[in-house]
Amino acid sequence: MSAVIRSALAALSLLAACGSSDRGPHYRAAGATTPHRGGTLHWSMVQQVRTLDPAIAYDEITAYFTHALFDTLVGYAGSDPARPGSGLELVPHLAESWTISDDHLVYTFTLRPGITFSDGQPVVAGDFVYGLERVLATAESPFPAFLDDVAGAKDVVDHKAAHCAGLRAIDDRHLEIRLSRPYAGFLYILAMSFATPQKQAWVQAAGDQLRRKVLGTGPWIVESWDEGQRLELARNPRYWDPTRPLLDRQIVLENIPGDTAYLMFEAGDLDVVDRLPAPVYTWIQTRDDWRPFVHASSAMNVYGERMNVRKKPFDDVRVRRALNYALNKEHVVRLLSGGATPSHGLLPPGLFGRDETLAPYPYDPAKAKALLAEAGYPDGFDIEYVTIKDDTSEKLAASMQADLAVVGVRMKITLMSFATYLSAVGREDGPSFSYSAWFADFPDPSNFIDTRFHSRQIAKENSNNDSFYANPALDQLIDAARLEGDATRRAAMYRQIERVLYDDAPWIWNYHRKFIEVTQPYVQGYQPHPVWVRAYEDAWLDLGPDGERLPKEAP
Amino acid sequence: MIRFVLRRLVWSALVVWFVVSATFAMLTIIPADPVRALLGPHATPKTIERVRERYCLDEDLIGQYGCFVGRIATGDLGESFRSKRPVAAIIADRVWPTTQLALAAIFLQLVIGVPLGILAAIRRNRAPDYLANVGALIGQSAPTFFIGTLLVYLFGFRFGWFPVSGYGTGFWDRLHHLILPATTLAAVGVAYYSRVVRSEMIEILGEDYVRTARAKGLGERAVVGRHALRNALGPLVTLVGLDLGVLMGGAVVTESIFAWPGLGREVLQAIFEVDIPLIIGVVMFTAIAIVLANLVVDLVQAWLDPRIRIS
Repeated sequence: MSAVIRSALAALSLLAACGSSDRGPHYRAAGATTPHRGGTLHWSMVQQVRTLDPAIAYDEITAYFTHALFDTLVGYAGSDPARPGSGLELVPHLAESWTISDDHLVYTFTLRPGITFSDGQPVVAGDFVYGLERVLATAESPFPAFLDDVAGAKDVVDHKAAHCAGLRAIDDRHLEIRLSRPYAGFLYILAMSFATPQKQAWVQAAGDQLRRKVLGTGPWIVESWDEGQRLELARNPRYWDPTRPLLDRQIVLENIPGDTAYLMFEAGDLDVVDRLPAPVYTWIQTRDDWRPFVHASSAMNVYGERMNVRKKPFDDVRVRRALNYALNKEHVVRLLSGGATPSHGLLPPGLFGRDETLAPYPYDPAKAKALLAEAGYPDGFDIEYVTIKDDTSEKLAASMQADLAVVGVRMKITLMSFATYLSAVGREDGPSFSYSAWFADFPDPSNFIDTRFHSRQIAKENSNNDSFYANPALDQLIDAARLEGDATRRAAMYRQIERVLYDDAPWIWNYHRKFIEVTQPYVQGYQPHPVWVRAYEDAWLDLGPDGERLPKEAP
Repeated sequence: MIRFVLRRLVWSALVVWFVVSATFAMLTIIPADPVRALLGPHATPKTIERVRERYCLDEDLIGQYGCFVGRIATGDLGESFRSKRPVAAIIADRVWPTTQLALAAIFLQLVIGVPLGILAAIRRNRAPDYLANVGALIGQSAPTFFIGTLLVYLFGFRFGWFPVSGYGTGFWDRLHHLILPATTLAAVGVAYYSRVVRSEMIEILGEDYVRTARAKGLGERAVVGRHALRNALGPLVTLVGLDLGVLMGGAVVTESIFAWPGLGREVLQAIFEVDIPLIIGVVMFTAIAIVLANLVVDLVQAWLDPRIRIS
């Protein structure tokens, strides 16, 4: 059924892309040179927000809103498309400063003076302690694992203690967090939206309604929410940074299919659109009038093909390398209409610790054949490949099937729903060769590498290390890099880790997907953020004197 | 009569129970793990275990069924895994948009399909009949997704007469938003209703009592409207009743294409996310709507046509 709906909508976008001669922007910017306040930004999402409770909300869609509504001690700098890696630096947000003890175990934060929740109640250090303890004690929260390093966190999770020994409000403006073991990436965890202060009285009064009745400290507040249809955010006038956001309001339409969203964008009903259908993206790149308003940014993700290294034929590193040589990544990038960068490993461009000098495996079918012959597979082998049932994955799988056939590997494609796929690939006895992807929770290499390749992450079921790759020497290096406080030494360690993983090839390293959005010409100051993606704090609207959209001038 | 209604109600309850239990069984044996789907690829095994316990999913099939029956028996449909909202509240939110769409579609089916069927019958084997035939053929053979896509492209995007998608706010705006999805949903029904009315009318127009009415000098309008049409509407009552029951379960394709916030779109999303309580809740609601529609149709038929005996 979903395939039918998708096909119908894809046909629609194809019709829209090909159907008319004048398809340039209908509006223009007024020509203001300095950003100014005001206006409403309209955009849409394919799915719907399920909950706004920061202790529970975790999916990609909801993250846009938890980021907008809940600020944290530290946050990310704005992104600049001209500077690779920008937007990943941590900067003070609700904390004006912090110190880290010499042993990297004690973090002491000083809160900004006078910060308040959106209803005017002051934010005190105890609100952070309550917010974090609530996360630890909430059964369905996916976040306690991120706080494993905080002293006493496990006791709260296991209901052995009501309070977390490692969290302490020294006074109203000073918060101390004590770790049981150092972790160099810990500050990034405090930039995740779940680590936001919460008022205990508010949470208790809201009860079940906390999923929609939230009290936050972020740049936006919820003005109204007609669930599944429309979410309206207004500027938080009490936000600690009085210069942001510039927009007065955001109106977000939920459950609008990507192809329909593009039609609405062209009709002027939306100011921003993402997830462009492939034919539309290909078409829009040919248009000089639209190109300046296409925003592409690297996002913190990686896509590839995981191999279960405990199973034949992937227990032989030569086979794994052969498949890396056999895949034509240029072809993959073309299939994604240029919206991707070939990868050499897990870490995306611009991320701290990435070895920018390491080139992806080249397309070399002769070498692949030689390696397969050396490994005892001169005639290749038959293999089942599991991927998700969606248009892009199916298309990429078919392309890889053709590439592997060139070197003698006969690949049978099995399509699964995302839910079935997730259950299947994390099992030791599950499929040995499948699609895989990772979207970072925070931009630290540990979030990619520890989770996916440390042997500690291997489990019989729901294994995050779903290649079942175990390398004791690499484990030691990963553990050391996690603890290393010196940034230069730490970066060198991750480069070394990348090299080992490149050579051992537990995945076919494939590509990093770019995030692409198109804005109307009057939307200014906006660039997708590499972590939050859609964050409109710096966006402003360059409209006419009465706030009206100015029509495009006649040619 | 009362005994008949009571017996039908008991049977209806058993049918609903069977449908819901079969859905439960199917959802528990599919290989997709709802907790894994809920928590996504980043979840640790420990978190998965904790959430599984919370929703009784750590128990065996019998244990899970017991948990489920215990809940349903107290009138609690549970809460959606994904949104943590009570399933009953989600269904209540989605029923009204679905009802509006269903009623609008049936209204269009009746006001277009019935006159078209009459016209085809009284102008049998002439141009109007042929045109109605071709229209019905297109309406019945073109899939909903094709008609919906075409309408969006032509009247939403190209001519800009109607909104491309969405639900709208306020009466007139809502009506404006309703026209394209209702037309899409009605397309098949219009074709079908017109064919049913045509064949019934042709049969009835050949009956003795119609010939007698004509022989007595009654005008053609009175013959068709008062004598033939009234008798031709019997099968239509059955069709409308059953259509309404089915449409109350949501029109998955139409609601998805037009981003109409009804039950169909909600259950489609729930299926992707293996949101078991929500799927079961919607299935239960749909099953109740269909069995009640069947019951009402039987009673209305008996009331309309005394020849039908309820026993």
